[in-house]
Amino acid sequence: MSETPENDNLPVQEIPAATPSNPQAQQRQRASQLAQALRAELRKAVIGQSAVIDDVLTALIAGGHVLVEGVPGLGKTLLVRALARCFGGEFARIQFTPDLMPSDVTGHAVYDMQSEQFKLRKGPVFTNLLLADEINRAPAKTQAALLEVMQERQVTLEGRALPVQLPFMVLATMNPIEQEGTYPLPEAELDRFMLKLRMDYPQQDEELNMVRQVTRSAKADMLEVSPLRTLLQAKDVLALQKIASDLPLDEQVLDYAVRLARATRSWPGLAMGAGPRASIALVRGARARALLRGGDFVLPDDIKSCALAVLRHRVRLAPELDIEGLSVDQVLQQLLDQVPAPRL
Amino acid sequence: MRLTEASVAIRPRSAWEAIDLGVLLARRHAGLLMASWALVTLPLFALLCALLWQYPGWAIFVFWWLKPAYERLPLYILSQALFGNTPSLKQALRALPKLLWPQLLASLTWRRLSPTRSFDLPVLQLEGLAGQARSQRLVVLGQRDSAAATWLTLVGMHLEVALWMGLVALFYLMLPQQVELDWTWESLIAASSGQWMWLEHLSNLLYVLLLIIWEPVYVACGFTLYLNRRTALEAWDIELTFRRLRQRLTGSAYALLLGCAVLLTQQPSNAWADTPPIVSEEAKQADPQGPDAPRLLQQPLTSQAARASIEALLDEPPFQHRETVTRWRLGEEKPAEEPKPEDVEAFLDMLKNLLKLGEWWKSLDVVAQVFEVLLWAALAALLVFVLWRYREWLQAFGDRIGLPTRRRQVAPQQLFGLELAPETLPDDVASEAERLWADQPRAALGLLYRALLSRLLHEHRLPLKQSHTEGEVLHLVAGLGQENLEDYSRQLTLHWQALAYGHRLPAESQRQGLCQGWRSLFGQERAA
Repeated sequence: MSETPENDNLPVQEIPAATPSNPQAQQRQRASQLAQALRAELRKAVIGQSAVIDDVLTALIAGGHVLVEGVPGLGKTLLVRALARCFGGEFARIQFTPDLMPSDVTGHAVYDMQSEQFKLRKGPVFTNLLLADEINRAPAKTQAALLEVMQERQVTLEGRALPVQLPFMVLATMNPIEQEGTYPLPEAELDRFMLKLRMDYPQQDEELNMVRQVTRSAKADMLEVSPLRTLLQAKDVLALQKIASDLPLDEQVLDYAVRLARATRSWPGLAMGAGPRASIALVRGARARALLRGGDFVLPDDIKSCALAVLRHRVRLAPELDIEGLSVDQVLQQLLDQVPAPRL
Repeated sequence: MRLTEASVAIRPRSAWEAIDLGVLLARRHAGLLMASWALVTLPLFALLCALLWQYPGWAIFVFWWLKPAYERLPLYILSQALFGNTPSLKQALRALPKLLWPQLLASLTWRRLSPTRSFDLPVLQLEGLAGQARSQRLVVLGQRDSAAATWLTLVGMHLEVALWMGLVALFYLMLPQQVELDWTWESLIAASSGQWMWLEHLSNLLYVLLLIIWEPVYVACGFTLYLNRRTALEAWDIELTFRRLRQRLTGSAYALLLGCAVLLTQQPSNAWADTPPIVSEEAKQADPQGPDAPRLLQQPLTSQAARASIEALLDEPPFQHRETVTRWRLGEEKPAEEPKPEDVEAFLDMLKNLLKLGEWWKSLDVVAQVFEVLLWAALAALLVFVLWRYREWLQAFGDRIGLPTRRRQVAPQQLFGLELAPETLPDDVASEAERLWADQPRAALGLLYRALLSRLLHEHRLPLKQSHTEGEVLHLVAGLGQENLEDYSRQLTLHWQALAYGHRLPAESQRQGLCQGWRSLFGQERAA
């Protein structure tokens, strides 16, 4: 069986049918079982946000960063804490405040009086899982401290580039920009987030269930994450990412992803389209989703299901539609409805 | 002039307060002022009336015009009275001829209508200035109080008119009623006969009488304004204070001087705060703990090098701003040229040509119409162009801006690159697929899926669109609520996806199952 992407262009007839005894397929099956177990564990802690949980796992498997937006009190931070609990690697948290300095994020050099030398003090970004809580409560100066580490997985301190350990994932939470005391995120920063997730209010039965659980808990008004099991270590995440990136992808599906991203650039109603990072994120996200779904290959549905989360923070709405009260999601939904699905 | 003997308190006042002081001054010397005024003006008025009996208007005009000449007498009296030696009526009248002559002509001609007459008079009469010196002095004096002086004259004019009309009305009220009626008729009949001349002279007399009251006040107010201005300019009040001080201290001053001399002869001793102790630069440098001592000598950058570079940095922008500004200036202004006669002629010619041009335009109405048509056509073309340019935008959001777009249910002819029209499909899909399995498995599966979509589209009326993925189609099928169809669709879609995106062919047994499923679902329908 030859499932590598290089063979995608070969005529179909020459490819033999899949054999389940293949070691690669077994590995893939185990990976997808692990991912589904993780999803089930997270759903225990975070009630009523299954779509958001799927998206966070997508980003984890695709090696991207996630920005979670929602009004206060929907469990954004809880979700990240639950993920950190299930994950065996290092976890650090930065609470963004208006007076936070860039060096509080990346670290800085401290002068040692004894040796007359500067010593490096590493900041909280040197970790596996970084929770940037309420990221838009800090001004752009501090937010920019994350730019380098998010894209290049390294921090330059005192002229030396220090790599952070892999896997590295930033989970940022933010309140909608209309709320008091928030600063807008710069476009360069937004573009580095693979997915931007919107958390909405839970359904009625889910909320009932949640209130029941919270009021039963010992702590005052928060869900507990302590009963969650640690399911995977840092190297497991790396393996998951490796397996996902090896999933076969048809040329047509790739073309669909690129067409979607390109359509945003000429779409009437969008003042600014998405860059090439969007196409890349679409494909990586689709691969991760296929693994999460338990599939052996990537479908156009995988692309389409993560398109909103990938695109919504990379485009800017035209002012006239903004005035009319349309949201970015509505316009993007129109776009998804009009871009033709792959043809064969 | 001795300020210490002045009968008014000399201090700087506001202009209005000074005018008020003038009224007070005139009231204190009212008898003398009015009597002297009356003695001068009444005989003159009588003389004028006698000379100009036929022209009462002219008589009062001449009298009015000569007012500056009589005003000199009250000013003389007031200036003398201010410093205590009030002249008697006889002395005043005797001084009049001497006062009258200087600059009388100027006062009665070009300075007659000056609004600051009473304010200017003391300069002429008391200071005796004339010509350039007078006008310079007036400029200095007029810097502050000329506005008040103007207002004084203005108010005086109105006051005169009001008082005159009041007196006339009073006189009229005193008349017995029959006389009054008689008068009205007779004056109508014989308005120009001249018999009533005495009446006009009477009203003139009323004016002369009221001037006896008002003019001294006017002159006094101007005089106090002048005094006030000089008090401010020459600091009379301060001078007065010093003079009083001198009078008080003349006795004790010598003792005071002696005491001061004794005090000043003593040598002053050194104070602690006199001069700071001088610390030499070497001492500063030598201090090993001082802030300027060289440190960090083991480092590549010593403190001295750092200090030098800091000082160099502080000498540059942004700490030091040195800039050279070069600016354009306007050159010498050229004097405006007088229009030459040729220019005027040329301008007139141009006007004529313009008129001619207008006539010529009238003959070009047809051309104008052509242009109108062209402009309307251009507007229409512009509209069409705008609609065409933004057609995509209108297509996407036309329904949002209220354009009535007819919703047509046109089923797409192609979906996922497959022909979907029923005519393009073979009659027996399952048999055709079975035939194709052997050599073209992809075509066989494609045919089945194509036929399924075609059925969904045309028989089940599913609103399928170009943008629907296979998964979404399945979701729509689930909405139809037909379990058999749903199961079969799911099965077929899975195989189709595996083939299209995973490049995997279905197993042999499944191929048969798919064809059978098709027959069981759609075969009997076709048969029925």
